[in-house]
Amino acid sequence: MMSRFNHLPTLKIDTSDKIPFTYRGKTYYGTKGDTVATALYANGVRIYARSLKYHRPRGLYSMDGECSNTMMEINGTPNVRTETTLLKPGMVIKEQNVKGSAKNDMLGFLDKMDWAMPAGFYYDTMHKPAKIWPVAMKQIRKAAGIGKLSPDHHMPGKYDEIYPTCDVCVIGGGPAGMKAALAAAEKGLRVILIENRPWLGGHFDYRTTEYVNRQTHHDRAVQLAKEVENTDNIRVFTHTANVGTYNNNLITGFQVGTEKDSFTERYIEIRANSVVVATGCIERPLLFENNERPGVMQAGCALRLANTYGLLPGKTGVFSIGHDLGLEAAVALHDLGMTIPMIADIRQDGQDPSLVKALADRKIPLQRGWVAIEVHGKKQVQKVTLKSVDGAVGKTVDCDVLVASAGFTPLTGPLVVNQAKQKYDPHTNFFLPTDLPRKMHAAGRLLGFENSRTIEASGHLAGIQAAYDCESCSIADLGEAKKAMESLPGPARGTKLVMAPVKGRKTFICFDEDTSIKNIKQSIDKGFDVPELIKRFSGAGLGPGQAGIPGHNLPLFTARYQALPDIKIRPTTVRPPLVPTLIATYAGTNHTMLKRTPIDDLQRKDGGIFRNIGVWQRARYFSRDFTAKKEIENVRNNVGMLDGSTLGKFRIHGPDALNALQRVYVSDLSKIKEGRVKYTAMCNDDGCVIDDGVVIKLGENDYYFSTSTGRAGQTIEWIRYHTRYDNWDFSLVNLTDAMGVINLSGPNARKVLEKVVDIDVSNEGFGFSEYKEFLVADTIPVKAMRLGFVGELSYELHVSASYMKALWLMLWEAGKEFKIQNFGVEAQNVLRMEKCHVILGQESEQRTNLLDIGMGFLWARKKTGYKTVGVAALAQAQQDNTRLKLVGFKMENNGRAPRDGALIVDDRIRGHVCTARNSFSLNEAVGMALVEGDMSQVGTRLAFYEDECNGELIYGTVVETPFYDPSGQRMKM
Amino acid sequence: MALTITCPICGKRNGYEFRYGGEEKGPRPDEKDLTPESWCDYVHMNKCVAGVQQEWWFHRDGCGSWFTIFRDTTTNLEKETPEAQE
Repeated sequence: MMSRFNHLPTLKIDTSDKIPFTYRGKTYYGTKGDTVATALYANGVRIYARSLKYHRPRGLYSMDGECSNTMMEINGTPNVRTETTLLKPGMVIKEQNVKGSAKNDMLGFLDKMDWAMPAGFYYDTMHKPAKIWPVAMKQIRKAAGIGKLSPDHHMPGKYDEIYPTCDVCVIGGGPAGMKAALAAAEKGLRVILIENRPWLGGHFDYRTTEYVNRQTHHDRAVQLAKEVENTDNIRVFTHTANVGTYNNNLITGFQVGTEKDSFTERYIEIRANSVVVATGCIERPLLFENNERPGVMQAGCALRLANTYGLLPGKTGVFSIGHDLGLEAAVALHDLGMTIPMIADIRQDGQDPSLVKALADRKIPLQRGWVAIEVHGKKQVQKVTLKSVDGAVGKTVDCDVLVASAGFTPLTGPLVVNQAKQKYDPHTNFFLPTDLPRKMHAAGRLLGFENSRTIEASGHLAGIQAAYDCESCSIADLGEAKKAMESLPGPARGTKLVMAPVKGRKTFICFDEDTSIKNIKQSIDKGFDVPELIKRFSGAGLGPGQAGIPGHNLPLFTARYQALPDIKIRPTTVRPPLVPTLIATYAGTNHTMLKRTPIDDLQRKDGGIFRNIGVWQRARYFSRDFTAKKEIENVRNNVGMLDGSTLGKFRIHGPDALNALQRVYVSDLSKIKEGRVKYTAMCNDDGCVIDDGVVIKLGENDYYFSTSTGRAGQTIEWIRYHTRYDNWDFSLVNLTDAMGVINLSGPNARKVLEKVVDIDVSNEGFGFSEYKEFLVADTIPVKAMRLGFVGELSYELHVSASYMKALWLMLWEAGKEFKIQNFGVEAQNVLRMEKCHVILGQESEQRTNLLDIGMGFLWARKKTGYKTVGVAALAQAQQDNTRLKLVGFKMENNGRAPRDGALIVDDRIRGHVCTARNSFSLNEAVGMALVEGDMSQVGTRLAFYEDECNGELIYGTVVETPFYDPSGQRMKM
Repeated sequence: MALTITCPICGKRNGYEFRYGGEEKGPRPDEKDLTPESWCDYVHMNKCVAGVQQEWWFHRDGCGSWFTIFRDTTTNLEKETPEAQE
């Protein structure tokens, strides 16, 4: 294990706290604060994985997870970005895409086979003759790819989602982002600040050079972060990657949870009035032979490895850079003990004089106008050849680390995915964002600023601009912030694309997809002339790094190869997600959003077998016999109780209550008498039946009504929608969850009820279709109606949910001597089917109207003036004899019932089965079906075609309905 | 969906809380003189404008009221008046 610095002020690790983990089957230790990548680095690992196509060794390169180099399998989850994943105790870490080990990969020879795999070989070579494709594909898939997902892998962890809103959302917690957040917060606005890394500070955080007045950049970052954290109206989300920005300033992010959080990762969807994007820059890779050999890394990576994680990247480091951060890193690493034999700076001039002096003081040779052209070393960097940019003079130097970085690339993704344009700017050599979306502002390094004070001032300005969007500051504030920028240095000059003259066979422009510049040239030579097409054909930028590595090099190199003028340089399109994301986080928590009835526990205790039915959990059976034979027979012969609490229950009152009901119900409700139950139905504007239920008049302008279980959620919306122009005065109350319903049914039902209640429940005292209100035990108010859905003597008792259990148990006790039993939803389904009582959604589908199911008798044709929903369409449909009709059928020769949904056929499809069962009451199979009108006559023979019946049809005949107790005596007795 | 909607009772809210209720087409036509064609037009035919339209929304996860807003269908942004243009 390497020794680690433990005295640097910039460190984010605690070397006294060791964390064990398993790598290649052995236990190693990292320290608290380590990422998986740095913990491995500390333990001497340099080769993390092998590349997609050529199995080239790959190592630590950027530190922000911009490429697949350091993706590994952790605890069975493939493609984890180890550079951004914090180490946790007990992690099991494996290498990807290797046969053997990353160090000794048996497929390493593929690197020499690149001649056989030019750009697009996958499309070009394997399809002639066609039969080689399946064979070739198998072999290719064995050798290529990044990470393997086991089909039975279960994603560990807890995933969550939140939907906060704010006035200003700031993306990026560096100096500019923090200044923007502070400026907006000072104006009294609610600010959300999201930061990709686990801490605020951005590029200031790991730099120990002077900011102003002897304060270091690091100390300045700490100071600003404290200010932000002490500001109550700034909500900070760290370790949160921004993955998308959308119209109307919708910002999405993925937050990685800490040990204290209840989630592993969560999805954050922010709605902001105004947005500031201060995402800064990443480094632009330098292009030369073997530019991704382990040991080659970017300047920020090398510097952060030392300053943040206490690890010296290597003993001897050569630098080939194009910006001052590279020089700064060289000075810092030298002072920490690295030998630096040479720095090649692409620039001829323009270096910060203080840095040049610092290098001279340390006797570090600086070669202006030089660049690395080739790295030597089979698996790791051993030597590097550098040359002057014109190729005239050169030198080969021994080293174990090459810090290589051409320049900066602005992270404009959040602006660009929200429709900002990008324009190549020859001064900064950036694709700068232009035409920013409404209420979206950019700040900081991504605009090309390098001066620390300019970066902060631009952040402040953007914060004020955002406050101005929110009408929380004056135009004078805006002018002041703009003025503060004027005296400060503007955007820095950026380095052009510089590369030494090489063939480019092993010069990689995209690491994820193993795309070399030779492949790019091949693509262009084949006629793919714009970056967007080259990207697709060569694969450059299509890997999991979301083009972090090739993003700007690809268009710049393409333009150079084609000798295009600057204005013609076109970047490729950026799309969300801006960083690789987990599907698990998108999915969030899988909440079981189901309702339970007031006596759910009783039903379970009684052995109920539950099913999810709509938004409810309901007891469907009370035994493993799914024909529910015992439950059915007990209702027919004795008495049963069903928990019907899922029924929709509503009260409507007010001067226009009746008008509203008349609008949506097809019956004429002006004629209902108090104490009577009226069964009726609702249609939609096409006359299709959507709901049925009963309406009860409680008093003047006061009605109680029920809807089917599935419609309860939409009923208020429906009634208000269809009365929205009328300004009617009525109030609607949804009592569905406030009331429970007991359905007491069977020939003994009266005997049970009369033991519990004081009122006269005789057929004369409480007749069929009547409604009563009474108190049970002087305490429990009950709304009772006599209905006959299951075809027996039946009482439906509506009672407050809180009394539901008490009343249920009283009836249960009273019913014991009459053999009372539970019955579930399936028993009810069969019982009512035998009576041919419909359940909407079962005997009807979306296109079925009121007349089709034989319920035209509910429609009060003489009711006019109410503009009743659906009647215009019903009037038209009356003439139509091509519609499906609901019929009852019996099976031939005592055959079994067809499955629900079976088709009815002759030479074509003629209808379908709605519900069919083997009836125990009738001792034969019966059912209901929707068939074409000409087949609805009694006596018509029906042929049923079931799934996988192999052409063996079964047959039935249309019969009179209902099947059971046609005269209806039993429910009226 | 990046849509936000201003409910007259609850204020500006996340678009997820609402249910769309179609274009504003005026009250239901009179039953008198109603032909199947004119009825079908009223129920099913829409203008589908590319631009600002008045439309109905229901605050399902809120106060439960129906109201209209103006929305630019090309930008998915709510407008204060039918004339409002960027």
